[in-house]
Amino acid sequence: MLNLRFEGEGFTPPGTKDFNLPSLIEGNPYFTKPILQLFLAVILISVFFILASRKAAVVPSKLQFAGESIYGFVRKGLGEDIIGHEFMRFVPFLFTLFTFILVNNIFGIVPLIQFPSMSHVSFPYVLAIFAYGVFHWIGIKKQGFFHYMKGIMFLPGVPKWSYVLLTPLEIATYFLIRPLTLSLRLFANMFAGHLLLLVFILGGEHMLMSDAIGLKIVSIFGFSLGIVMTFFEFMVQCLQAYIFTLLTALYIAGALADEH
Amino acid sequence: MNKDENALWSIFGYLLSGLLVWGGVGWALDHFLGTSFLLLVGLVVGAGAAITIIWFRFGRE
Repeated sequence: MLNLRFEGEGFTPPGTKDFNLPSLIEGNPYFTKPILQLFLAVILISVFFILASRKAAVVPSKLQFAGESIYGFVRKGLGEDIIGHEFMRFVPFLFTLFTFILVNNIFGIVPLIQFPSMSHVSFPYVLAIFAYGVFHWIGIKKQGFFHYMKGIMFLPGVPKWSYVLLTPLEIATYFLIRPLTLSLRLFANMFAGHLLLLVFILGGEHMLMSDAIGLKIVSIFGFSLGIVMTFFEFMVQCLQAYIFTLLTALYIAGALADEH
Repeated sequence: MNKDENALWSIFGYLLSGLLVWGGVGWALDHFLGTSFLLLVGLVVGAGAAITIIWFRFGRE
């Protein structure tokens, strides 16, 4: 380890600067790699599901089976089980959300791409705004504006005076905390995961490239932990796509319910 | 299962907003009045209010 100190250049740990990628097109500052990935995700998802459903047969091919499994998972697990009898209207929305987030997350560990789009906070914000708009709109349409707001703001069964304390809380929860936690959870998981991989793999590389033989040997641990963490990240990426869609479904279900 | 999961995430949201809203009010009052104990009072009130909501929304099913 002593050797590291005497080297000309020390190890610069990865940080937020690694997320500020340069533009891909000269003169257009907005067309960055994450933006390209969004388009790529749309194309990949479309092509996959068009191919999977084109020659639909009673005895499915492998591709059709894969496509139907994913669709069935969202339709049954996130739609029917959570939203209830009106679920069919929301399946396309939930399905799009789930596949879009999933593919964009998994880009974080796909070789040569290796950047999770959702580690830029503006993308989860936009998705959360969609979810937010949908569940409030559904609630207002179903219950009427005043009834819906009354359901949110006034908890039944508590003494009248306590509304002074509780109503601000309910408003903050429904209109601020829900969209914020929805987007920040996805963003923070992708950001931290990517940083974690960068630390292990860049650290391993730095040790391998150093002159000290001891560090070269130790770099094996850096790389192997990088590989372990890549599998761990895959799990997190799937889980976060699931949780985002699950919570959206739960909020829709809450807005549809008349019990408020 | 769904009810539990729903409750889990909603409870988290309520606790967070309880602390933020009333803790924030306490902090702001501290800031303008020059006191230092209102933040603590606000946090306690917020946590209490959040638990009250959780109790009434989910506790009686």
